[in-house]
Amino acid sequence: MSKLGRVVEAVERYNGFVEDEVKRARSDKKFGQLMVDRWNEIKAKIPVGTAPTGLKLPRLALPEIDEAGDITRYLLGDGLPGEFPFLNGAYREMYLEPLSQPPVETGAYEKNGHGGKAKLNGSKNGAKPQVTEEPTRLFSGLMLAEDTNERFHFLGAHQRSKRLSTAFDGPTLYGIDSDAPGILGKIGEGGVAVDTVEDMVRLYDGFDLGSPDFSASMTISGPAPIIMAMYIAAAKRRFGNGIVPKLRGTIQADIFKEVQAQNETIFPVEASLRFLTDMMEFTTREMPRWYPVSISGYHIGEAGSTPVQQAAYTLSNGFAYAEMMAARGLDVNDFGPRLSFFLDCGLDVEYIALTRVSRRIWAIGMRDAFGAGPKAQMFKVHTQTSGRSLVAAEFKNNLTRTAAELMLSYMNGTNSCHSNSADEPFTTPSEEWIRLAAHGQAILLDESGIFKHTMNMLSGSPGMKAVERAVEAAILEEFREIERLGGVMGAVENRYQRSQIQTAAHRYEQQIYNGTRPIIALNKYRNDSEEMPEFELARTPRTKQQLQVDRLKKFKAKNARKAEQALAKLAAVVETDENCFPALLEAAEVCSLGQISDCLQEVVGRFRPMV
Amino acid sequence: MAAPIRVLTAVPICDGHDSAINTINLEFIRHGIEVVYLGYHRYAQDIVRAAIQEDVRAVGISSYNGGHVEFFAEVVKQLKKCGADDIKVFGGGGGTITHDDQRVMQKRGVDKIFFAGTSLTDMTQWVRDRYGKASKRGAGKSAEMKLARKLTEIEDGYANGKRPKKSAATKTKKSPGTRVIGFTGPGGAGKTTLIDELILRLLHREPKARIAILSHDPSVVGEGALLGDRATMINSQDDRVFMRSMATRGQAGGLSPATEDCLRLLAQSGFDYVIIETVGTGQEAMPFQSKLVDQTVLVMNPDYGARLQLQKIVMLDLADIVVVNKSDQDRARTAASEIERRLEQNNRGQRLLSTVAKRHRDPGVDKLCNLLTQDLAPAAKKGGKK
Repeated sequence: MSKLGRVVEAVERYNGFVEDEVKRARSDKKFGQLMVDRWNEIKAKIPVGTAPTGLKLPRLALPEIDEAGDITRYLLGDGLPGEFPFLNGAYREMYLEPLSQPPVETGAYEKNGHGGKAKLNGSKNGAKPQVTEEPTRLFSGLMLAEDTNERFHFLGAHQRSKRLSTAFDGPTLYGIDSDAPGILGKIGEGGVAVDTVEDMVRLYDGFDLGSPDFSASMTISGPAPIIMAMYIAAAKRRFGNGIVPKLRGTIQADIFKEVQAQNETIFPVEASLRFLTDMMEFTTREMPRWYPVSISGYHIGEAGSTPVQQAAYTLSNGFAYAEMMAARGLDVNDFGPRLSFFLDCGLDVEYIALTRVSRRIWAIGMRDAFGAGPKAQMFKVHTQTSGRSLVAAEFKNNLTRTAAELMLSYMNGTNSCHSNSADEPFTTPSEEWIRLAAHGQAILLDESGIFKHTMNMLSGSPGMKAVERAVEAAILEEFREIERLGGVMGAVENRYQRSQIQTAAHRYEQQIYNGTRPIIALNKYRNDSEEMPEFELARTPRTKQQLQVDRLKKFKAKNARKAEQALAKLAAVVETDENCFPALLEAAEVCSLGQISDCLQEVVGRFRPMV
Repeated sequence: MAAPIRVLTAVPICDGHDSAINTINLEFIRHGIEVVYLGYHRYAQDIVRAAIQEDVRAVGISSYNGGHVEFFAEVVKQLKKCGADDIKVFGGGGGTITHDDQRVMQKRGVDKIFFAGTSLTDMTQWVRDRYGKASKRGAGKSAEMKLARKLTEIEDGYANGKRPKKSAATKTKKSPGTRVIGFTGPGGAGKTTLIDELILRLLHREPKARIAILSHDPSVVGEGALLGDRATMINSQDDRVFMRSMATRGQAGGLSPATEDCLRLLAQSGFDYVIIETVGTGQEAMPFQSKLVDQTVLVMNPDYGARLQLQKIVMLDLADIVVVNKSDQDRARTAASEIERRLEQNNRGQRLLSTVAKRHRDPGVDKLCNLLTQDLAPAAKKGGKK
């Protein structure tokens, strides 16, 4: 049995345990009274805040129950925000605005630490409440490093904290150099072109990479260990070797979802996983503030999976990574808190509770199947609204779609969020629509009173409960099927996840075309006289593409001899069982991305696509 | 009955968005189109080579990652350069391709761009109308293209119910030095991966060798077929490899009605190796009746079930080489020893090998390559070697 089978058992056992305790609270008077007393104590300690209208509200809303069994079911089955099994939130206060005056009595209420709007890259657990980062993190990347750098500064101008999220162009995602034949038109399209450590220096120029307010997120998986090495090399160039332990950020590095959905894999799966584990081992030991993998359901969702498939495959991939790292001899309490997640949020009904349920399953699985402590039980998640749900027809409707998805994301207690721009179906978003997307988040969180006064504002409705139960059962059923196929790796080799996702995608398209899935202005209330809007498109001019090629050629000429040595060393280490990340770090100083990818492929082979 | 329309579909280089194309492929094959699917992240050069070898009527490209104006134009340009401008190029990219882009692309020779919101039905209908008509096509500029067009002639001849007359050429023997190797075995045993790994080694060991592959996939009810072997054969996208994908077009047993004639043509065309792969076959199948085939390889999966099942597999008596692939699986050792005993009963000097084709530089595949390249024993020699 793989660990996934044990996770299924753990969740079933935990659910049984909760029901047993409910019975006990009802039959055993003493225990029942204990639970009621605890409930009353919790309620008594909830601070009260004031809305701008003067209305007084508790900062945590609890169900109106007073019977010992119901209380037990709530406290154990759902948990308070910030408490196991974390159904209602990873942190106690999440998006609440700070109290202007500290409450007189804090007591146990404060112990769990502040909500941490942006604890994804957050401060130490149990630290004093502080002015936290905004949960807004917008994805961006275009043309050359200096162009994206300019965009980063534009986006950052609106925020206290600098949380950059980097999109790379196609050649970079596939580990191909910009000077490779046949790819000129792809340079800087859909993301930024990065070939060398020098590009990496330009990309984050002007940002203090070691600052506690700065974090960089890099969305790349196939060649992730190489890009990680380049980021470290660039940071060292600018700030010296002492910068390494201070670096904060996330690299996606999720090979499983690439093979299952997104198709940006360049090495065979086993070799990719080895490089990944080498990198994770390094960051776990040397870069305690770094998130070395962002376990991503987003691309699974975007490839057309159902919401349940998305959550099931993402969670099971996460458990598989945890199993790999544990097999390396790393302590779950060291690497567990450095695993983070990335989910898609669309408009299907499951999204009312998908993240909540995921958080609960992760916590129980990590605690009971991996022996993880509290920090390693927490499912910390970045959500992006669904790009797939946006359509070109009457595209301004996309603002409404994204707003509804944002609402669902925050109802689920996401730790950070990206809201898509309405012009996404056409192009890399333009500044006008990015601004609207970012403001959408601010309107929900800062302007509206929905999320800033009271935790649990929308949690626990009967409908939400019904969705939670159905979704949890369906996720466990998927886990069982994956387990039957030999765990995540076995299922991948049987192309189980791929074929499930493709079937779901095809059904979705058919539903659109036969009208059973209404998409406004596309198959319902369609306006056939609409002209397609003309955008100023973010296309990379040929001169820029040529500039990138010229710069790369110069870099290669300058470093030719050193590169040869570094690559020979790297190849030799990869042939052994040693951790190859240190050799990769050396190579990243003098070699291009493509040179390193080619060198590694020479040793381990190329990825054979699955159809 | 008219011959099915053959189109090639692919996603451009540095683009992994295959969700749309997968859906479109399914829709095409359900409406009688034979789709040669090349996969995602494909160079223009690979698309053009495949389009010519497969002799499709049109190439459909699905692009979501930008750079489409250049990419589509490059495919058109290269087709034209090869004298294959009667192979048309169409495609789409949701909202990423604008009307302005479309105008530029059509000016550069792209036949049609579908925009977001086009129904699958409309798209399929358009493709059938546009590329379904019989039209006068040239014989081809290069030798490769001529060969491809002759193969089409043979295949379509069978589809139209007229078995082509045996010409003098079809009766002649194969080219001197050509070795024909047949691969068969159950679905999921890894035949395609094994062949592709073999190609990698052949290209490396014999720097001048030219190889032809005749690959088969089943037709689905309603005539269409998804011919997807090329998508996973990363090493076979090479100018020294001529690959042709065929649908079985209703014939049972793992091959197409036109296979024998197509194989004969390939065997006469000066290749060093001609490799023929059947669709996944059952226990009773004996696909290679042809005298053209020099060696047959049966590729097995370790989990064929109980030992008794082995007695029923007819090909175990006929194959020259039996390969137990996926030999990293738990059951592989048992499987190998059970098959070994089974082959001993035959007492024909059949060879048994264990491979893990998916593993880079697998020594088992090296051994298979040795067996397939060494001189044939006189008894097995049918074609004559240089």
